[in-house]
Amino acid sequence: MVKMEQPGPEKVIKQSAYDEKWWNDWVMKGGWRPEAWKIIEMKDGPTLTSLKTERFMIIHRPHANMFNHSYGKVSRFFEGLLEGKLMGTKCPKCGLVYCPPRAHCFNPKCRLAETTWVELPKKGVVHSYTIMAIAWPSMAHLQPLVGAMVRVDGTNTCLPMTMRDIDPEKVNIGLKVNIHISKDAKGDLLDVYATPAEEPKAPKRTEAELKRFREDMDKTREWVKKTFGTKTNK
Amino acid sequence: MANKKVAIVAGAISRFDNPRHTLQEEMCAEAVRMILDDLPNLDLGTWVKEQDTAACYSYFSDILEQQQCMHWIINDYLGLSGLPQYRVESGGATPIDAVVNAALWIRSGLFKQVLVVGWEKMNELHIQKVNEAIAIAGDTDWDFVSGFTYNAFYATLETRRMHVFGETEEDLAEVAVMTHNNSLDNPYAQWPAQHGFGKITVDDVYKSRLISWPYRLYECAMTSEGASALLLTDAETARKYTDTPVWISGVGFGSDTMRPGDRPDNPAWKGLFPEDEKLWPGHVERPLSPYPDLTNFGAFRTAARLAYKDAGIRNPRKEIDMVMVFDPYAGVVLAGLEDMDFCKRGEGMKLLREGVIQPWGDLPCQFSGSLTAQGHAVGSTSIAEVVQVYWQLSQQIGKKWGAPKRQMSKARRGLIQGHGGTGCQAGVVILER
Repeated sequence: MVKMEQPGPEKVIKQSAYDEKWWNDWVMKGGWRPEAWKIIEMKDGPTLTSLKTERFMIIHRPHANMFNHSYGKVSRFFEGLLEGKLMGTKCPKCGLVYCPPRAHCFNPKCRLAETTWVELPKKGVVHSYTIMAIAWPSMAHLQPLVGAMVRVDGTNTCLPMTMRDIDPEKVNIGLKVNIHISKDAKGDLLDVYATPAEEPKAPKRTEAELKRFREDMDKTREWVKKTFGTKTNK
Repeated sequence: MANKKVAIVAGAISRFDNPRHTLQEEMCAEAVRMILDDLPNLDLGTWVKEQDTAACYSYFSDILEQQQCMHWIINDYLGLSGLPQYRVESGGATPIDAVVNAALWIRSGLFKQVLVVGWEKMNELHIQKVNEAIAIAGDTDWDFVSGFTYNAFYATLETRRMHVFGETEEDLAEVAVMTHNNSLDNPYAQWPAQHGFGKITVDDVYKSRLISWPYRLYECAMTSEGASALLLTDAETARKYTDTPVWISGVGFGSDTMRPGDRPDNPAWKGLFPEDEKLWPGHVERPLSPYPDLTNFGAFRTAARLAYKDAGIRNPRKEIDMVMVFDPYAGVVLAGLEDMDFCKRGEGMKLLREGVIQPWGDLPCQFSGSLTAQGHAVGSTSIAEVVQVYWQLSQQIGKKWGAPKRQMSKARRGLIQGHGGTGCQAGVVILER
């Protein structure tokens, strides 16, 4: 007989403080009962050639979710963020390096071999990019916000992250970047961002494209200024 | 191998709009009613008794619907309780996968008929939460929580295409002009329902707000509510309903990595498509797997080639007469035409610039207005596109649109492509009359 054992109970090594009451209040918030209702009239029908006026009742129905999520066997990456380190995994068979890390190598030749942890340099190259005029609500004050797919040096993957200290007009594919981890790391990928590690060279734009681009950036900055005051990216 | 021919004998759409305050089951009933109107011989009462028909349901998001197992409600509401039922879900690929599945069930010989019904409700959450509900189809630990929206991911893919192949902002705007103007005669489309029936120009696209450079509002899919339905049968059963069925002559589906960032060096794709790897230009550093990198959609390639093999198509550019690329963002039309072998890699923009994919060209694409103008009620989207191509091939556009001038009289074969995520999963269906 091979001896079996129980995996638990879990032992807490360390944890950050949080407001348990706030959390639990949110978990229970709403509970699906209507806060209010309205009754409206609008034309409806299966085609635009067969519309009839209909009456609808609409309720405002609240519901919230709060998750207790495990990062599984790639938890080391996120623990690394708390320590200011950028971690990846390496396959002992084929040598591919992953960041985002994989606990098992996905190279079909390696038969899902278990990988090992390596610390990565906080440097990389922009593989592609965008300039967000609509970003996450928590980052809206940083619009226009550059998002870059960054190939961390020595890895075979690209990690999406936002960029700071860069003129959106100048970001380009091939730009070398420094990778930073927020001092007050919360433990998710939003702790990671990049800044230019060299003088950026703008992509080629026609005169009309450049004019339009600058107008778009101005409009975006105006909106940010109007919404958040003077706290802008430039 | 049982390999029964699969016929489409009827199709219907309950139009896309946002909002449509009508319930999901009511929109589905509207679509299925249209099928019943088209097929006076169809007797729903026999379906449960005979157990030779299945229902294949397609919806994307339990969060947007505020309901798990929504298809149980739909099936019940349509009066089909007792029928073998099944739900398909794979993000944006959900509806194309439903059609692929339904076709394969008929080919298996287990069912004579499959009713495919798809829908989505996308207006009941705050728009930011709608974006979130869609975006969590991306990897929530590694892609979603990076500060990127879905728009931003597709934008980085397009930026890479512009850098590697020289696509321009004007190309993207021209695609948007084409899709919007294509939708103007379509009584199932959301764009004219909200914005009226006038044509737009490239300048109108430029005036629409920037979302995530290079993409502007008019170059992105609309979020929609709507439903659609298709009735598939085997060849023998089809004769009961119609003398002129349209056949599903080929199906295929494929996949790529969950995260687009894992594609450039993906060891599984290295050397898979050497002819495309050869087209990698010298001015850009060569990744380990130059196809698809971020510029193209490998899942479209594998799905399309499976479907071509299935349908016996050797030269898609010559043998296919109309195409519906699943286009949540304008640039996907151009990439998709390359990935599905309508042109060489990097030459999608040529098909656009030469007018080939316009309604008057010889490979009309997106004639319904597709996702940017007909709308994108996720679980319904590709089913509605299959319905539109079915109507074209069965010469019903005059009747179904009330716009006979939009009927393509000579078309014999059409391709409908769908995908989910950033091309994580794709499906292709080929129709033939």
